[in-house]
Amino acid sequence: MNSTLLRRVAARAPLRRLYTTPSNHNLEILDHALTKVNELGWTRASVIAACQDLGYSSMAHGVSESGGLGLVRHFMDRALDETTIEVDDQLHEFDSTNDKLRFICITRLRQTLPYANRWHEAAALLAQPQNVPTAIDQMGKLASRIWYLAGDQSVRLDWYAKRSALAAAYVATEMYMCEDKSPDHAHTWRFLNRRIEEMGKADKLSQGVAAYGTQFGRNLYNILASRGFVPHQ
Amino acid sequence: MNSRIAVSSARRASQRLIQRTTPDETTTHFGFKTVPEAQKESLVRGVFSNVASNYDIMNDAMSMGIHRLWKDHLIRKMSPSPDAKLLDVAGGTGDIAQRFLEFQDQGEPGQRVDAWARAEKRFAASKWMREGRIGFTVGNAENLEFIDDASFDVYTIAFGIRNCTHPDRVVREAFRVLKPGGRFMCLEFSRVENPVLASLYDFHSFHVIPRLGELIANDRGSYEYLVESIRKFPPQKEFAQMIRDAGFTTIGKGYENLTFGTVAIHTGYKF
Ligand SMILES: C[S@@+](CC[C@H](N)C(=O)[O-])C[C@H]1O[C@@H](n2cnc3c(N)ncnc32)[C@H](O)[C@@H]1O
Repeated sequence: MNSTLLRRVAARAPLRRLYTTPSNHNLEILDHALTKVNELGWTRASVIAACQDLGYSSMAHGVSESGGLGLVRHFMDRALDETTIEVDDQLHEFDSTNDKLRFICITRLRQTLPYANRWHEAAALLAQPQNVPTAIDQMGKLASRIWYLAGDQSVRLDWYAKRSALAAAYVATEMYMCEDKSPDHAHTWRFLNRRIEEMGKADKLSQGVAAYGTQFGRNLYNILASRGFVPHQ
Repeated sequence: MNSRIAVSSARRASQRLIQRTTPDETTTHFGFKTVPEAQKESLVRGVFSNVASNYDIMNDAMSMGIHRLWKDHLIRKMSPSPDAKLLDVAGGTGDIAQRFLEFQDQGEPGQRVDAWARAEKRFAASKWMREGRIGFTVGNAENLEFIDDASFDVYTIAFGIRNCTHPDRVVREAFRVLKPGGRFMCLEFSRVENPVLASLYDFHSFHVIPRLGELIANDRGSYEYLVESIRKFPPQKEFAQMIRDAGFTTIGKGYENLTFGTVAIHTGYKF
């Protein structure tokens, strides 16, 4: 299942599409910069430190466009690709779509765990007005990929509503997880269950307005705003 | 030297040279005129020693005053790291070097810039030069043999490369002097891609700027050259390819258009 997508993802390291000259140095720098995040944050400083470790000029930090934001974007792309690879051979063990969604979300959330202490900074960065398009783009990719992996390949009218509902459930859980001190994050997984169950309702509620291509962005924006992610207009 | 004299002699020289051009001489463009390659450099020097005294006025006229914003944007985009050493080629009045140090001073002060160009007397006045944070050298961008391989973190050339006879050689030299991971950035007039704006811009370039040159600097010829040289320089995509051909890695298309493509910033990384 999903083997085409898997092959595509495995063959394409994150961010590859941005680079016209074949070079993996930028990925090498960004991956290494992730090891600096807990110390230096989602910042240009992390990228500069990575360049220096790897023996490059500090000015190679420009491969992460707009500094910390590029690093966040790199992480989210990587995490989503890792998730795709990880869940692929286990998904057949789950029957219901909700179980699959839960499993995929947990796998993705675990990618954020190593940065739990610093994740609110990334969220704050994504919430800045000039970065909202990036936030919406990333959440759109996340929700589309998760729905796709869970086996929902329909392009129905409720597609946008479903994606925004899932993105909202995911974001809320991720925030919860970063504060959660319960053993093995048990509370987080319970929180996630409730969000996924609620999703059915949210889905039906917004079906009426879900027919526009831009609806996803607007829904998500409103949802993010209601969670305090982006400033209200 | 009186700038008026320098210009007319440069113009007279170019006329003489065109007459003497024979088919077996390698020629290049000087604005829209074709001149022997060996002469372009001295012709360009004539233009710049002439306009140098009215330099900022010229920049303002050519860009309608926006060149300051473009330069600010260049440095913001670059975001110099605290330890970075800059080589600013075709440095002119030192606009780029100055902004670079200003940016770094918000972080850690104490870095040195090697600003390097041809006829820049005004540099001497800069406080950074007195403080020894800017070094100044004269040479040709196409041949920086007096600069070691892999010795700079960032290389800039702003409104300078289109005056060079072999832009490809300039880019190759930039590649050589940069450290691994170092960054090449070129700010240059380019092509307006929207056809309506392009025709307005053409009118401004061919009619307004030379006229302004005449009124402000009393030197129509040099301004005509500047406008024509912009049209002769390769468009964005072609120049980006030249940068890749020199060995640089580009991100995306490798350039960013500013003000509809009136100017573009090309970026390459040495990996
Ligand atoms: C239009 S000015 C740009 C000055 C400055 N970078 C700015 O943006 O204001 C062009 C500069 O290039 C220099 N120049 C022209 N040909 C050159 C060459 N072959 N090598 C190095 N510099 C050159 C001129 O002396 C002049 O200072």
